[in-house]
Amino acid sequence: MSSGSVMTRRAVLGTVALAGAALAMRPARGAPDPEIALAEQLFGRAPVPSERLQLDMPAVFPNGYTVPLAFEVDCPMTDADHVRAVHVVAPRNPLVRVASFHFTPRSGRARISTRIRLAEPQNVIAVAEMSDGVLLLAKTRVEVEVNGCA
Amino acid sequence: MATPEPRIRVPNTAAKGEILEVKALITHQMETGLRRDATGKLMPRKIINAFSCRYNGELVFSVELHEAVAANPYLEFHLRAEESGTIEFAWHEDGGAVYTARGTLTVT
Repeated sequence: MSSGSVMTRRAVLGTVALAGAALAMRPARGAPDPEIALAEQLFGRAPVPSERLQLDMPAVFPNGYTVPLAFEVDCPMTDADHVRAVHVVAPRNPLVRVASFHFTPRSGRARISTRIRLAEPQNVIAVAEMSDGVLLLAKTRVEVEVNGCA
Repeated sequence: MATPEPRIRVPNTAAKGEILEVKALITHQMETGLRRDATGKLMPRKIINAFSCRYNGELVFSVELHEAVAANPYLEFHLRAEESGTIEFAWHEDGGAVYTARGTLTVT
């Protein structure tokens, strides 16, 4: 073990080169991931990934025709600070938009539970539009075993 | 297709300021317009494309539904109890038909 832990100059240089290659393979700074790019295309602005928006779907579900979906935005729902809308998008469905939910301060709580169709396994996206104009993004991977004809 | 039948669940009573859970479902095929019949012809789209909830006439919650909402669309959402009155629900179908339901809430 002791000999294995000795780093030769060659090994150090090799490690640095590998690290450089790994960095080069990551998307360039400012290049958004595909979900952010799609959301920007649909909603005009790039959303920010946020834990304030919780998207809850099963990781694996037998039937793509009726997949449970729930989300909640951590928000006081006051006149000054509320969720205006949450949009759900299924990028690998033939028609990507699933539904848009429009809230008001009188909603009290920005939480929804519903059921959707997924044509194939994919990352489902939710984008919350806040009253200050900020867009929040959450996504979750769902594997469906029987594809729902969306 | 059978006539769509709305079903709602709203509490009858609530304390002022309480946040209520509301459930709304309508029986509906949600035909996507992407399926073909036995002869290979595309079946025309017929979905519930919008849902609204009014509390004493004020629009408090609404949804735009697309083809990927499952058949018999089910919605569970919330409302803040402010005053006694009616809570009205409307489901809008492609072609212009509207299906409605209403609940009565007493706020104490």
